[in-house]
Amino acid sequence: MTRTVVRASGLTKRYGSFTAVDAVDFTLEENRIYGLLGRNGAGKTTVMQMLTGQIFPNDGELEVFGRTPAEHADVLRRLCFIAESQRYPDAFHASHVLKAAPWFFGNWDAGFAARLVDDFRLPLNRPIKKLSRGQLSAVGVVVGLASRAPLTFFDEPYLGLDAVARQIFYDRLLADYAAHPRTIVLSTHLIDEVANLLEHLLIIDQGRILLDRDADEVRGSATTVAGGRAAVESFVADRAVIGREGIGGLASVTIDGRLDQADRVRAAELGLELAPVSLQQLIVHMTGADLRADSTEQEVAA
Amino acid sequence: MTAVIEKPSVRTEPRSRFTEVWRVVRLHALTPSVFFGIPWIILGTAWLVMIVIGMIAGAAGADTEKMGEGMRYSWAVLSPQWYLVVVGVQAIGLTMSFALGFGATRRDFWLGTSAMFGIVSLLNAVAIATLVQLEKLTDGWWLNIAMFDALWYGQNGWLVDFYTTLALQLFVLFIGASVTTVYLRWRMRGMLTLALGAIALILGFVAIATFTESWPAIFEWFGGIGIVGVFTVVLGLAVGCAIGGYLVIRRATPR
Repeated sequence: MTRTVVRASGLTKRYGSFTAVDAVDFTLEENRIYGLLGRNGAGKTTVMQMLTGQIFPNDGELEVFGRTPAEHADVLRRLCFIAESQRYPDAFHASHVLKAAPWFFGNWDAGFAARLVDDFRLPLNRPIKKLSRGQLSAVGVVVGLASRAPLTFFDEPYLGLDAVARQIFYDRLLADYAAHPRTIVLSTHLIDEVANLLEHLLIIDQGRILLDRDADEVRGSATTVAGGRAAVESFVADRAVIGREGIGGLASVTIDGRLDQADRVRAAELGLELAPVSLQQLIVHMTGADLRADSTEQEVAA
Repeated sequence: MTAVIEKPSVRTEPRSRFTEVWRVVRLHALTPSVFFGIPWIILGTAWLVMIVIGMIAGAAGADTEKMGEGMRYSWAVLSPQWYLVVVGVQAIGLTMSFALGFGATRRDFWLGTSAMFGIVSLLNAVAIATLVQLEKLTDGWWLNIAMFDALWYGQNGWLVDFYTTLALQLFVLFIGASVTTVYLRWRMRGMLTLALGAIALILGFVAIATFTESWPAIFEWFGGIGIVGVFTVVLGLAVGCAIGGYLVIRRATPR
């Protein structure tokens, strides 16, 4: 029995003649970890800003916890939005942020916040303007985790964080999520690093949602077929192709959709190599220039 | 999935508006240097400079009575006001973006910010009006200095000094804050429209007053309403900015 916490339909945001988010439909269920993935400028931040009432949609319907988020205190109280470029009052230190947090987040855990500050070696009494990019990200990560908001958004939470700090973030996030289930939306470029964390994927490109599927379904759903060009082409002839590379007589084609036993036997007979596609490669295929060319070709063909 | 009883998706338990507004006041007060520390450092420094001038003049045997008369035209008592316009700007430009990220509504943020402006103005008005009286009581800090007892101050008693400072202070803070809401809502286009509109309004007023030859009547009217009347106009402008800011901020989007 899961509840829907976000319901968006036809959600649109335009900036002048540029459409940042173009009539997207999606829902977010309670107590899951979502990955909002896409290239720079794909519309990830705009979607999060609309969901948290930071900006106003131009069109479409949006319900968060049952109603429009903007200007509704009872909705906003249950959200936490860690923006990539969060601005802080001029004279603020990280300690001020942590002091104010419990006034705004009902589930704030000060002990957890203190442990995270230690983990990230975050200097509390240095002006925020003087913090490095990584330390600035750490402030956001501490707030996002310790607030335990029922719906938490992390927009590129670890810009500038080193590998150790990122690992700490993943570990703490998973452990705390297990103890205190909630809905988390993570937007990121470092797809393979978080691939195992995500339960559901929303891939967005040029303001449209390309894919909205369970991570388990997506993992291993695409396969790269490599071998002699003719053999490869005959194998993939009636399949959805999402990527194509080739050198001379060799070709490597990525196809969408699972292969069954018969397919695998046939591939082996044709002397083809099958390799699973990582999430990151899949997204590169889906949102890269290749796809644009291919999809137009398919459209023309169809 | 564990079976839980389906709860209504919108919690409807009452939470007093006061808590939501007051936390914004606390947010502004988290770094007291911004609203209290720096303005009083500026004022204190100006005061120290005046004291040193007074001591030098006294030691040199100058006519300190005359010096005090001259000092009445000094604007030292108003020195923190320019800084406080910037405080008004930053309260919206920086603190609002932060508060919205923490889940405050624009409405509660503006109400809390207004409350903070009110508290600051009230405290400053009490302090300045009292310092004017202290300065008069001590004959200019025993040096014939006129820092607080200057301009329109020190002539109509504590209450008038309190009222005029309160009005001026509210105006200074709200003009900075409300103009910033215009920027946050309409960005540069809004600022240009606002500036051009204000200039057109002033030029129009000047033109009408000049063509109808009503300048003497206008000056007479200002003379007639006196210091208290003029600052009531200032207070009216402050209230106008406060209401305008509330209307504009409701759809403003921080960067």
